[in-house]
Amino acid sequence: MRSATRPIPWFQSGLVLVMGWVTAVVATAVEPSPADLEFFEKRIRPVLARACFDCHSEDSKSVKGGLRLDSHAALLKGGENGSVLTPGDPQGSRLIQAVRWTDEEFRMPPKRQLAAAEISDLEDWVRRGAPWPSESATAGTPRRRGFEVTEQDRRHWAFQPIGHPVPPTGKGETAPHAIDAFLGQGLQERQLTAAPPADRRTLIRRLYYDLLGLPPTPEEVEAFVQDPSESAWEQLVERLLASPHYGEKWGRHWLDLVRFAETNSYERDGAKPNAWRYRDYVIRSFNADKPFDRFVREQLAGDELPDADDEARIATGYYRLGIWDDEPADRELARYDQLDDLVATTGQVFLGLTVDCARCHDHKIDPIGQRDYYSLVSFFHNVTPYRNGGDTDEVVLSGLEAAGATPAKALVVSETGTAAPETRVLARGNPGSPGDRVEPAFLQVLNPPQPRITPPASGKSLGRRLALADWIVSPENPLTARVWVNRVWQHHFGRGLVRTPSDFGRQGQAPTHPELLDWLARQFMEQGWSVKNLHRVILTSAAYQRSTRASEASLQRDPMNDGLSHFDMRRLTAEEIRDSLLWVSGPVNRAMFGPGVYVTLPPEVLAGQSVPGSGWGKAPPADQVRRSVYIHVKRSLLTPILLGFDLAEPDRSTPVRFATTQPTQALGMLNSSFVREQAGCLARRLREEAPGDTRAQVSRALALVTGRPATEADLGRGLRLIGSLSGQDGLDSQAALEAFCLLALNLNEFVYLD
Amino acid sequence: MSPDASAPRGQFCRRTRREFLWEAGAGFTGLALAGLMARDGLLPRVQAAPTGGFVNPLAPRQPMRSAKAKSVIFLFMYGGPSQVDTFDYKPALYPLDGKTITVKTFGRGGRKNEGRVVGPKWAFKPYGQCGKYVSDLFPNVGRCVDDIAFLHSMTADSPIHGSAMLQMNTGKILSGSPCLGSWVNYGLGSVSENLPGFAVMLDPIGGPISGAKNWSSGYMPASYQGTVLRSAGDPILDLQRPEGMTAPMQRRILDSLREYNSDHAAAHPDNSNLAARIASYELAFNMQRHAPEAVDLGRESESTRELYGINNPRTQEFGRRCLLARRLVERGVRFVQLYAGGAHNDDNWDAHSDLEKNHNFHAGRTDRPIAGLLQDLKQRGLLDETLVIWGGEFGRQPTAEYEKGTGRDHNAYGFTMWMAGGGVKGGMSVGQTDELGSAAVEDRLHVKDMHATVLHLMGLDPNHLSYFYGGLDQRLVGVEEVQPIRAIL
Repeated sequence: MRSATRPIPWFQSGLVLVMGWVTAVVATAVEPSPADLEFFEKRIRPVLARACFDCHSEDSKSVKGGLRLDSHAALLKGGENGSVLTPGDPQGSRLIQAVRWTDEEFRMPPKRQLAAAEISDLEDWVRRGAPWPSESATAGTPRRRGFEVTEQDRRHWAFQPIGHPVPPTGKGETAPHAIDAFLGQGLQERQLTAAPPADRRTLIRRLYYDLLGLPPTPEEVEAFVQDPSESAWEQLVERLLASPHYGEKWGRHWLDLVRFAETNSYERDGAKPNAWRYRDYVIRSFNADKPFDRFVREQLAGDELPDADDEARIATGYYRLGIWDDEPADRELARYDQLDDLVATTGQVFLGLTVDCARCHDHKIDPIGQRDYYSLVSFFHNVTPYRNGGDTDEVVLSGLEAAGATPAKALVVSETGTAAPETRVLARGNPGSPGDRVEPAFLQVLNPPQPRITPPASGKSLGRRLALADWIVSPENPLTARVWVNRVWQHHFGRGLVRTPSDFGRQGQAPTHPELLDWLARQFMEQGWSVKNLHRVILTSAAYQRSTRASEASLQRDPMNDGLSHFDMRRLTAEEIRDSLLWVSGPVNRAMFGPGVYVTLPPEVLAGQSVPGSGWGKAPPADQVRRSVYIHVKRSLLTPILLGFDLAEPDRSTPVRFATTQPTQALGMLNSSFVREQAGCLARRLREEAPGDTRAQVSRALALVTGRPATEADLGRGLRLIGSLSGQDGLDSQAALEAFCLLALNLNEFVYLD
Repeated sequence: MSPDASAPRGQFCRRTRREFLWEAGAGFTGLALAGLMARDGLLPRVQAAPTGGFVNPLAPRQPMRSAKAKSVIFLFMYGGPSQVDTFDYKPALYPLDGKTITVKTFGRGGRKNEGRVVGPKWAFKPYGQCGKYVSDLFPNVGRCVDDIAFLHSMTADSPIHGSAMLQMNTGKILSGSPCLGSWVNYGLGSVSENLPGFAVMLDPIGGPISGAKNWSSGYMPASYQGTVLRSAGDPILDLQRPEGMTAPMQRRILDSLREYNSDHAAAHPDNSNLAARIASYELAFNMQRHAPEAVDLGRESESTRELYGINNPRTQEFGRRCLLARRLVERGVRFVQLYAGGAHNDDNWDAHSDLEKNHNFHAGRTDRPIAGLLQDLKQRGLLDETLVIWGGEFGRQPTAEYEKGTGRDHNAYGFTMWMAGGGVKGGMSVGQTDELGSAAVEDRLHVKDMHATVLHLMGLDPNHLSYFYGGLDQRLVGVEEVQPIRAIL
């Protein structure tokens, strides 16, 4: 976790990382500095486009005052009244005077003043010499007419082919791990030394949560600490990767991305039939180390694959997970909203691009045209509108025998037939204003091939989705592998090499270690898109095994820890917190898969529904203690302890979760019946494991929640608390122990990972 | 973009994007509390003042520009009250009662081109110096018209409860966006340390349809979501100590917890999140002490209780909540939302079958309390800084929904909302519906105009208050510029 005591000059740190990259790739001397470029693209161009171009650009109906602000040359030339810009001198630039509104006669934009922050950005920009990208003659955003992808656009790092970087060779005798070799370079440049390795006790806990989302038992910790084998770490990695709980943890990461929920939202928030099968499919796929390219193809076009089986069909539930208004005010618009959900999710999750920003107009920042957007829509256009069940949304599974006479069904995609519907560009995204017709095509900025569309033998669909899936996972696509390895890195290290994991476009952040990113992506593809191999590579690096203790030098010189000189602490996720409570307290039920579980919700929470309890069942006691990933995800009724600890909002794709700290979390951890029940279970467990020995009970409780032996100070403090609760508050020994257990479950050491 | 335009670089002004990067990079942890804690002396100064300028998202902030209002009380008339029977006087409609006329309508029953008029069921008479006509459903509110600005030309994009509720609360008919109350807290922070900044009080009859979606913070962090506050029982979920746990016992546990956590934090000196979590327990402890006081009406005078109708069984319930709303804004809560009506059908204003019975019931239990709230705020000098909003997710049609009976279907083509206090001009009306009251025809207003007005009055610029999400600077009012309703300012 980042610390508030460290300065966070994101902008400056952004400069450093962009600089390293651009010199490697675009080494052109005439370009303004990458820092200036980034400043221009992020702060200046959007303001000019929004506030000025209506009257002062090539696209203006009439160019006011003869002044254009959409090219560097035009800007320097000025308008009918002469120069407006003196680079380096904001005070002497009429552009700045105009936006400041100091002169009554000369106020721009005339109707409403820019925000003060925007004005100060413009001043900054002029002070820097008004840098402008050299090759783009016009800023061209929004590119209402004649949208064209330029060579400059294509030069953006994420659109470049994935390179074949070779890890730098160190001076030492033995070659370091490739990841450490790449990172070592950056540390050298920053004149930082890496933190020492974390101790084994820390490492096993880190790895358990990272791969399984669960704490190790004290016995597992001790065994690892004592393990004399030199390959103890590698063995541990293998053992955990083979655990069925791995899929529950990593599947959840994927479910965040694909906005997984089991209901539709809106007035009825009705249940989606058998949505849980998709969740199980995801868990099984991770556990089986299904090649990621196959995983993508199954979800986008499992039904169109030549070897489509039940599993591949269930995967297409991907299309049916979104919100759905069963009573839309405007059916046509609602249809396009559904298609937009598919384009948005697919673009962000697989490609790391906000293609959906081009629904109403060409993308304002990225080189993605409205035609690109509707060309992508056309891949999905034949998908039957969602109806929440029935023949078009459900299929009977062949390989599964359901209990009794009811056949097992899955939520799937289907198409309306083999006649391709017409897709047109919609002006301003309005279905009432259809424009040019478009055909399926991939994003033009990537110089893609023509889609090769072959209708599948089934005769039930067009084959367009398979063509899209094949392109998404083709080795020539520079995005998919980069985006996924970055996400895996993100979940191991707390953030990606690209910190904006669903936006690799120009608004996103450039990678801190571009060569490492490419090396990982190359390795990943070359090793058959094996996610578990990718884990192995990352987890065996020294970087992953570093201590969280930051050096003074690192806090000073690399406050964002971009160089990864040490490991970052993190708070447990919502599911990890709830699951750990069950795990250490004892009552956990490890059963996997099956329909969503209705855990008991407080009546106050149910009272927020228009019909309290509607759409929420009652799980038997054994199911109440299942892992959180199996809790029924009802969009309007999320489980309080999960919601409180920043569960992913399920209406849209969530690439990064928040980790807030709020007093309501403390209230829930102290007073909620769920946590108190766990404290009671933990106390019972302690009494069973160490009957009659309060000291041993305290010791065991602390070992269970922290994974380390309690110190004398820890023990004394716990015993004193129990003593005073019994003495001064008159609690019996059982109640006093329960109170101590409640404390143990609230420890920072329990919910923060080193 | 910048809620605090004058802030130096590194302060809130650029935080949407920075916050996004922050979250994208490493999460949001801890800092949510830093500001509040520092004010209580719970955190050492060094931790409360991040030198890099990342600011506690809930720390109180200066508004972007001078603010008229400090708090909002949104009286949400769930289900959709009929405008022609309440505040939109249509004399031409009475004589048409029972006649089938040509009129375009769009409700849950679909689009129709003609219908049988249901004449307004209540008489209107003029009130106040402005002489505003108000129906007999709201005689008490009638006496406050000189403080009220009526918006008669409201329109919304959907005549269906689910999406219309979402739009009234979040600006979007699609599920998943933050609520007005979230935006206000995001823009201004919270000045109350012991109470949530966005409090929602539901009707004990039941929650609204879509439940928690109506107070969700959508893509913003949970810090900005509405907290359901109850007027009876445990006011906030998990606020009450469990049975058998006394305050001194809990104090002892928390003291011990803090000792453990301090040891742990000392070993991790560069992670201030740990200190923030320690402090969050102190804040929780204080909330347990102060929040019950905020909802305790015991100290309110007899005359105040009378003013809100708390002594009358019919108005008692809503009266209590209106009085609570005043107590909350007095204690710095930014945004209070009260639902009048809950659950389904006639449990709220959704008068599909018997208009008279329905509206008599819902107006009857709210008229006196609403008027009491306005008068009380005024006499305490709070009305100037408290914006009160009245309205439902849409209005109702002038025609009957069914062949028989007086029920009216939904109507998003034209309906009435009103605002009072918080810098709004009283005694005035904006916009008009046609002579049937079926559709806005003059100075048409959209939900987003109302939202823009609320943000503006709170000192926030609706066109610049943005949150970076999904590749866009998202705004409550959408991508196109929206102006506040100038006529009432």
